[in-house]
Amino acid sequence: MDGKPGASVDMIGVSKSYGGVHAVREVDFSIRPGEVHALLGENGAGKSTLMKVLCGEVSGYRGEIRIGGQPVALGSPVDAQRAGIAMIHQELDLVPALSIAENVFLGREPRTRLRTVDVRRMVRDTARLLARAGVRLDPRRPVEQLRTGEQQLVTIAKALSLDARILIMDEPTSALSSHEVEQLFGVISELRGAGTGIVYISHRMDEIGRVADRATVLRNGSVVAEFDARSMTAAEASEAMVGRPLHQMFRTSAHRPVLEAEELLRVENLVVIPRRPRAGRRDPAGISLRVRRGEIVGLAGLLGSGRTELLETLFGVGLRGRWHGRVLLADRPVRPTGPRQALGLGIAFVPEDRRIAGLALEHSVLANTVLSVVGRIARLGVVSRSTEQTLTRRTTDRLSVKLASLNSPVGSLSGGNQQKVVLGRGLLTEPTLLLLDEPTRGVDIGAKAEIYRLLGQIASQGVGVLLASSEPAELIGICDRVVVLRGGRSVRELETDGVSEAALLAAVMGEGAMGEGARPEPALGEAG
Amino acid sequence: MTEHTRTEEAQAAGATPDIPTPAGSPPAEHAGRPPAEELPGRGARIGATLFKFQSLFGLVLVFAAAAALSPSRDGELVFLDSQNLFNVVRSISEIGILAVGMTLVILIGGIDLSVGSVLGLASVGAATLLVNNDLGVTFTVLLVLGIGLGFGLLQGFSVAKFGIQAFIVTLAGMQIARGLARIWSGGQGISITYGDGPGQAPVVFSLLGERTFNGLVPIPALIFIVVAVLAIVLLRVSAFSRHIYAIGGNEKAARLSGVPVTRVKIAVFGICGVLAALAGLVHAGQLNFGAPNDGAMYELDAIAAVVIGGTSLMGGRGSVVGTVAGALLVGVLRNILALNNIDSNIQLLIIGLVIVLAAGLQRLRPASVSS
Repeated sequence: MDGKPGASVDMIGVSKSYGGVHAVREVDFSIRPGEVHALLGENGAGKSTLMKVLCGEVSGYRGEIRIGGQPVALGSPVDAQRAGIAMIHQELDLVPALSIAENVFLGREPRTRLRTVDVRRMVRDTARLLARAGVRLDPRRPVEQLRTGEQQLVTIAKALSLDARILIMDEPTSALSSHEVEQLFGVISELRGAGTGIVYISHRMDEIGRVADRATVLRNGSVVAEFDARSMTAAEASEAMVGRPLHQMFRTSAHRPVLEAEELLRVENLVVIPRRPRAGRRDPAGISLRVRRGEIVGLAGLLGSGRTELLETLFGVGLRGRWHGRVLLADRPVRPTGPRQALGLGIAFVPEDRRIAGLALEHSVLANTVLSVVGRIARLGVVSRSTEQTLTRRTTDRLSVKLASLNSPVGSLSGGNQQKVVLGRGLLTEPTLLLLDEPTRGVDIGAKAEIYRLLGQIASQGVGVLLASSEPAELIGICDRVVVLRGGRSVRELETDGVSEAALLAAVMGEGAMGEGARPEPALGEAG
Repeated sequence: MTEHTRTEEAQAAGATPDIPTPAGSPPAEHAGRPPAEELPGRGARIGATLFKFQSLFGLVLVFAAAAALSPSRDGELVFLDSQNLFNVVRSISEIGILAVGMTLVILIGGIDLSVGSVLGLASVGAATLLVNNDLGVTFTVLLVLGIGLGFGLLQGFSVAKFGIQAFIVTLAGMQIARGLARIWSGGQGISITYGDGPGQAPVVFSLLGERTFNGLVPIPALIFIVVAVLAIVLLRVSAFSRHIYAIGGNEKAARLSGVPVTRVKIAVFGICGVLAALAGLVHAGQLNFGAPNDGAMYELDAIAAVVIGGTSLMGGRGSVVGTVAGALLVGVLRNILALNNIDSNIQLLIIGLVIVLAAGLQRLRPASVSS
């Protein structure tokens, strides 16, 4: 490091364009030591580009970057690292086959005197870093066995090990449960106390007010507002981000007559005993719940509480094994053995990670949208191009997907629009039961509101919706009821009318957890 | 409150003409490349088309170069002579047939190393069944194609059901098919003689070495063209093809979308096996010989044609049109080099460079070119 800790970083009039399109233009942005500076903006507003400039990951920017008043050239990631700038990426850059410790120390492994890798020290130091990040994991476990949230915590531990002067966190909480978020905030305040400057990028308004000192809002690549983060309201920030007053974020309680509606899904004491259990999975171990037609039911729970596994089981992609209990769909016992069968039963599933499990990113919006129904719309195996186009056009219009052409690669769309494509593909199968796993993860606030509106609309057409989410505000805002899972069991059921986020959080973490802080938290995916 | 809003300025900035992004469709920031949410200019579209059909343009270039460099005889360019051109097509017909099947396998993210050995096995099968077993042509053809189909399906089953990598399964298949070919033939080539007597093959089979349309179009070339056209049409219109691309693009997403991944994979390997057997029949018919050791390295020539054709070895991206152009490009290159009496070892060098060039061009291909 060439500067002393405590120097502030100033970006002055920074612009960067890709092929004639300004991703950021004339942006002034500064980070002072010991400060948490939130960077807000919708997807595509230029947040990541701005930060990539700071990390030396993009070259050819205009403007000036000063560290401690001295102009510096950050032409490569190495330059940035030398200047003490580190970034936790939104895309988790971990090597799946390597262990946690090997990932944390990748490229700078501690050596013994014989120049071999000092495994013992690596594991010991990693364990300490993990503890600081607030997660208990064996440093020798391969990263591929971890859930997304745990991987996110590993990247945070890795960033801690860099002793950076400026730490950029791009959506660090997108896959964390509320409990882990608390722990991360603890880490952040510790770093702040030590004089580290932190850039905090997030879509979650509630977090900004709690963790940040200042907030800067980008829109279309320019700074449009700066706030004192502590006194800023979510409404102010949202309006600056979208550039217009935000209408009702969550659907208005458009009193749908769900209470009298007939029951669509009933899960009775479901237990799955996998034939080949997999480490880190929490298969259903006693789940009971109901979803009526037109009802949106939330699934709450910490990471490793078995939300995803329940949805997978209902869609027929869980682990194979013995079942106890029953699943009834419209009063008929069902046991889906695969996606095709589940889709045939009228069950659609929007998986958690659209990039990994949802989309072929290089393929066109059209190919991705009609994928579930091409077999159905084919006559004698022949698909009519115009039918495909009509269906896709209808879907993208209905979900207001913003796109240049149906033939654009879906990977070129923003996160929110990608998610809408996954949702639209499910809807084309005309499901009666829609399963959603974290449907608004990494989605900007405008698209989020639209997805909520759509879900309300879908439900009002009589579709039953079962939605897993880590965001209490989301669960309370759009669900009629919330079922709380813990350790693969359904432990509580809450009507969302009049429930506070705090009450829901308490239910998720376990009633006793608040009182007895010393008790080790359950889960964190250590299920066996 | 230290709030300081600069909304007006920003809106004024947003109104300047050099931000073509329409309101509400921000550039995709994580992509690290020009956003596709704005309409691409004409230059970009032409660029996209060039990349999508790079092997076709490459073929046109090579063809033009070949015409320019062609030696002439009696004032006519030898290369452009229709006999010569059809010879080019015939020379690549076996590899071309293999490459069509290989394209499908590569599109699902697989590879089939066994096709050359299956070709050898099929040629032995054809000769043995016709000559030693006195089976009619119809039965022989059906049986040989059936052997190819069964072989491919078995490989596909191992890949799709047991999750063994295609490279390994077909590496094993390559050894097994070669072994079977040698055992079946007793290690010796089997000559096919034509006639009505016992131990003689029906004359119909010798048509594979003939030409049709006034002795202009070699039958193997015709078979290749038919196979290619069928595959191109299949990949354009069928639901099956959508499933193939989806599996190659993102297998997990395809499975969750209800694509019958296992069945499609098995079917694709089956088709590849049938085509390998068909190429074997053509081989036997052209040589009048069942050759247990023939077809070695053909799998690599087929893969080369696929790669030159712009199909991604990662799967999910590519076309049979590209493969056909890739195979023809290699054929034209070989032909013009041979016409100019250039050493066949130099030919190898040049074809190697072409493969690298084609793969390099694919790397340059902008990510916004949709498959």
